[in-house]
Amino acid sequence: MTSLFTFLFLLFAAVAQAISSSGSRLLVVLEDVAEKTQYSKFLGDLEGRGFQVSYETPKSESLSLFHLGERSYDHILFFPTKAKGLGPNLTANLLIKFINADGNILLALSAQKQAPTAVIAALSELDIHLPSERTGLVVDHFNYDVTSAAEKHDVLLLPTPGALRPGVKDFFSPATPNGELLAVPQAIGQVLGNGELLTPVLRAPSTAYSYNPKEEAEALGDDLFAAGKQLSLVTTVQARNSARLTVLGSADMLSDQWFDAKVQKVGGKAAVATVNREFAKRVTGWTFNEIGVLRVNWIEHHLNEEGQGNQSNPKIYRIKNDVTYSISMSEYEWDHWAAFKVPASDDLQLEFSMLSPFHRLSLKPTVSSEESTTYSTNFKLPDQHGIFNFKINHKRPFFNNIEEKNTVSVRHFAHDEWPRSYAISGAWPWIAGIGATVTGWSFFVAIWLFSKPTGKGESKKTR
Amino acid sequence: MAVATATDSSSPMQTLADFGKSKSLRTLLRVLILCFIAGAAVSSRLFSVIRFESIIHEFDPWFNFRATKYLIANGFYDFWDWFDDRTWHPLGRVTGGTLYPGLMVTSETFASCWPPAFSGLTAFAAYLLTNEMTTNTSAGLLAAAFMGITPGYISRSVAGSYDNEAIAIFLLVFTFYLWIRALKLGSVLWGALCALFYGYMVASWGGYAFITCLVPLHAFVLICMGRYSTRLYVSYTTWYALGTLASMQIPFVGFLPVRTSEHMPALGIFGFLQLVAFIYYIRSSLSGAQFKAFLFVGLGAVFGLALLALVAMTSAGYIAPWSGRFYSLWDTGYAKIHIPIIASVSEHQPTAWPAFFFDLNLLIWLFPAGVYLCFQDLKDEHVFVVVYALFGSYFAGVMVRLMLTLTPIVCVAAAMAASQLLSTFLSVKSPVAKDPEQEDATDVSSKKIKQNAGSLRSTNSPYVGVYSFMSKGLVSGIMTIYLLLFVLHCTWVTSNAYSSPSVVLASRMPDGSQHIIDDYREAYQWLRQNTKEDAKIMSWWDYGYQIGGMADRPTLVDNNTWNNTHIATVGKAMSSSEEVSYPIMRQHEVDYVLVVFGGLLGYSGDDINKFLWMVRIAEGIWPDEVSERKFFTPRGEYRVDGEATETMKNSLMYKMSYYNYHTLFPPGQAQDRVRGVRLPDTGPVLNTLDEAFTSENWIIRIYKVKDLDNVGRDHAAAASFDRGHKKKKAIKKRGPRTLRVD
Repeated sequence: MTSLFTFLFLLFAAVAQAISSSGSRLLVVLEDVAEKTQYSKFLGDLEGRGFQVSYETPKSESLSLFHLGERSYDHILFFPTKAKGLGPNLTANLLIKFINADGNILLALSAQKQAPTAVIAALSELDIHLPSERTGLVVDHFNYDVTSAAEKHDVLLLPTPGALRPGVKDFFSPATPNGELLAVPQAIGQVLGNGELLTPVLRAPSTAYSYNPKEEAEALGDDLFAAGKQLSLVTTVQARNSARLTVLGSADMLSDQWFDAKVQKVGGKAAVATVNREFAKRVTGWTFNEIGVLRVNWIEHHLNEEGQGNQSNPKIYRIKNDVTYSISMSEYEWDHWAAFKVPASDDLQLEFSMLSPFHRLSLKPTVSSEESTTYSTNFKLPDQHGIFNFKINHKRPFFNNIEEKNTVSVRHFAHDEWPRSYAISGAWPWIAGIGATVTGWSFFVAIWLFSKPTGKGESKKTR
Repeated sequence: MAVATATDSSSPMQTLADFGKSKSLRTLLRVLILCFIAGAAVSSRLFSVIRFESIIHEFDPWFNFRATKYLIANGFYDFWDWFDDRTWHPLGRVTGGTLYPGLMVTSETFASCWPPAFSGLTAFAAYLLTNEMTTNTSAGLLAAAFMGITPGYISRSVAGSYDNEAIAIFLLVFTFYLWIRALKLGSVLWGALCALFYGYMVASWGGYAFITCLVPLHAFVLICMGRYSTRLYVSYTTWYALGTLASMQIPFVGFLPVRTSEHMPALGIFGFLQLVAFIYYIRSSLSGAQFKAFLFVGLGAVFGLALLALVAMTSAGYIAPWSGRFYSLWDTGYAKIHIPIIASVSEHQPTAWPAFFFDLNLLIWLFPAGVYLCFQDLKDEHVFVVVYALFGSYFAGVMVRLMLTLTPIVCVAAAMAASQLLSTFLSVKSPVAKDPEQEDATDVSSKKIKQNAGSLRSTNSPYVGVYSFMSKGLVSGIMTIYLLLFVLHCTWVTSNAYSSPSVVLASRMPDGSQHIIDDYREAYQWLRQNTKEDAKIMSWWDYGYQIGGMADRPTLVDNNTWNNTHIATVGKAMSSSEEVSYPIMRQHEVDYVLVVFGGLLGYSGDDINKFLWMVRIAEGIWPDEVSERKFFTPRGEYRVDGEATETMKNSLMYKMSYYNYHTLFPPGQAQDRVRGVRLPDTGPVLNTLDEAFTSENWIIRIYKVKDLDNVGRDHAAAASFDRGHKKKKAIKKRGPRTLRVD
């Protein structure tokens, strides 16, 4: 019975693993369920990857993010809605609570529909800011699509983003880019605060700016919302619990229309296909924990000294012990766990710390298999007793946060672990001194005892 | 064993005082009396068990209890090398090397150490010591009785007070007895025994330094009085050499005997004695004039060289200068300025005068009389009493705690005086003038009276004066009443003042019945049952041992105040604003913060009243960040009500103490019953901590430290969002934009 149960459980786990590393229940919030036909290819892709998609409108009575204190969905996908609010079931507090409960959110906005207040409030908690009055359109007079937006310049054509900076893995570009362009129609730009949890994926080109089409149709006001690289078109947030939220400035990017469109950049030679479908797959894949997910399989540390028991993961070490630390890690790639490889020019670091790090060491890959890589290092414990942590604090953009802390006590030398006195050459004079005193005294006693006093000895004895 | 020793030590007076009465009967009586005294000593220490229950008192005993448990569970060698990772997080404590293991080893060896039992032994030791001082039989018994019930000693040895002092005072008195014995006999054997018990004393209590200083001082005074003898040489050198070696076996002491100034007198006198012995030898073989010249040149040169060497080694750092604790013994104001951590302990305050009477009652006025009697017959051992009395009195006046070391000598001296009085006035026989036999029988005082015969008229005719039944009856009657009053006083003090466990508080209900306030144990039990095994608790150090013992949770600081900086860190966290405290608590991995608040009950020993010490200790390390002045109003008042300073109101301690407190009262009625002030209607706001537990009478409040905000906000913003406030527009309309830099 137990084995059958275990088998079923494993089977279920395997099925669950086949899509996202953190569950497959996806809620899609639309203005009207009928709207989903616009995004049929996009949603079809998601269902094809194994997500169980439920569709709800904000006004639906049955919509509830939590049931009995547990999340009802693993992921939420918001499409633009018309209403100013999202109703009592989707307040800003509930959205933050959903993130705090490890839920992921993909937020698709559009310049044509005002963002709901709940979304704006939730985003402002995350230090992501949308244009005031909830409207704003990003235009670029140098990077627009001549076929569809020759007049308005509001369909931006951008190359795939590439790596954020050296050492950061690029999750959002196709494996083999060959000049395809990303079409970003009617985007609403976001301005990001300086928080370390925010990472822009796709930034507007330096020639883009955001304006309010209703009020500033004729001329720009004094108060420009933002321009250039400060405008983020696709922003990711990864909370401390590794829950992910992506803000997509342009919901139209996901529509069928732009999945297979041919676009031509201003000044471009020929029309090229958009890469939107691939980009959408990667953005959703990242948001819904299909890529960029790291797992620590096991951590092991042991004494690395001859003649010792060298048991695994002891609770206590001694100062100046030689110690080996190993950690096995895997990375989730769409539907399976694979060996985690640290990107070039990045490091997986181990800290050995008490209040502050005493050691900060790069871990080197030692054993690599299909499913995991083992990183390890040897080092000598500091000459300081205390309660130390082996700490892995691996927080990189787009990878989930790895924070592993293994506490060990480092004790002082026990009374019988010091070298013996005769092993220390500096102690030899003292040992010789003791020897001299002992022999001298013995001689004295011997002479005293065996030399018979002469003459007056008798009277001395009686005295 | 006890019988044999008792007979032994009193045998000289037997021959003097035995008139027709059987020696064995006297011995039996003496043994019986000593047994009764031991019984009285033990039973008077059981008040606490009767009044409350069998519970460990105060703070330090909780550590001793924990250490003993460790010793029993892990054996001696593990205990010796014990690294304690559940205190002083994250530094840990090399406990095996920083404690006095005497108490724990004693209790492990004898299966249980029961402090009251040692009081019986102390009484016996006082009996032996007194018998060395006087030929009067009753003095020893009186001293034993005094020692058994005097509150000055009871305060540290009631049942439940599982503390070092419980056995240390016995060892102190017994070591002194052995020292006197060794000095009298000039015996290597007794000197070695003295060193053995000195070693035991070193293993038991930091107060061993008192012996380390007093014995050399005694020897020095004797030499200065021209009383150098081979007896002194033999006993002192034996004691010093063996005792020092013994003391160095304790890891906590280690090389201190040769490296710190506190131990230098003993070493210096040891050297000085060699010199003196050498000089005496030279004198026996040189002529007078030659010797004088040699004495001046040689002695002066050696003394000067030794002093120079001491100064040089101290300044070079080989010998540690006097520690702060010792400075505070000379200048009572020193500690308050330089080492607040020492001054903050109530036991280290200068003694108030009434405390002497409270702890010693009639002994305090018998004591000088006893010291005076020592001058009557000034032998080497009497010099010891005089020296001890002088030093003990001084130190007891400087620090409340040192009343404990004064108590034994007070008992001895007072017993000598009392027995002198009693044996003079209780004797029915009147001396016949010039009768040699009578002269022997009566005591020193009668000789004295005769010597002074010419001075006072009343003493000219002793039959009408001192020797009348009237005066005898009156004096002995009054003395008896005094002694009875003393017993009453001791009983009262013991049962009312020294038997409360401080973990459990007692109060009276309106109908007079006793009400037990058990908040401490309630809170510690909560911690034990509701927190993770390794949840770190931050509290002021006073409660460290109790949390470790009762709640079994790691603490940041405890009553073993070995690391002033760490304590100052906790003080800084308590006295700073949340924004400053939170990173400190995160860095130290604090899970819970515990504060003691007496405002509801009127319990004055709470953290707000101790708060200024935290501020001072923190200011000692971070004078730029914490300032005591800022906790006082411009008029110099320490206030907690609406008029309190901003620094005070923003401090973590204030916030934790008064958080939600106003909700207990109707609006405008919130009151702090300790400070006797009315509190503002709006309580403090806490953003980085969650209230986790508040005990029944609000004495203990425990807060949980929040994690970092999950989505990267600061705690104030997160808390305000949770309360439903909307964030203000972060992007300013005016001024330069804040740009994101990647």
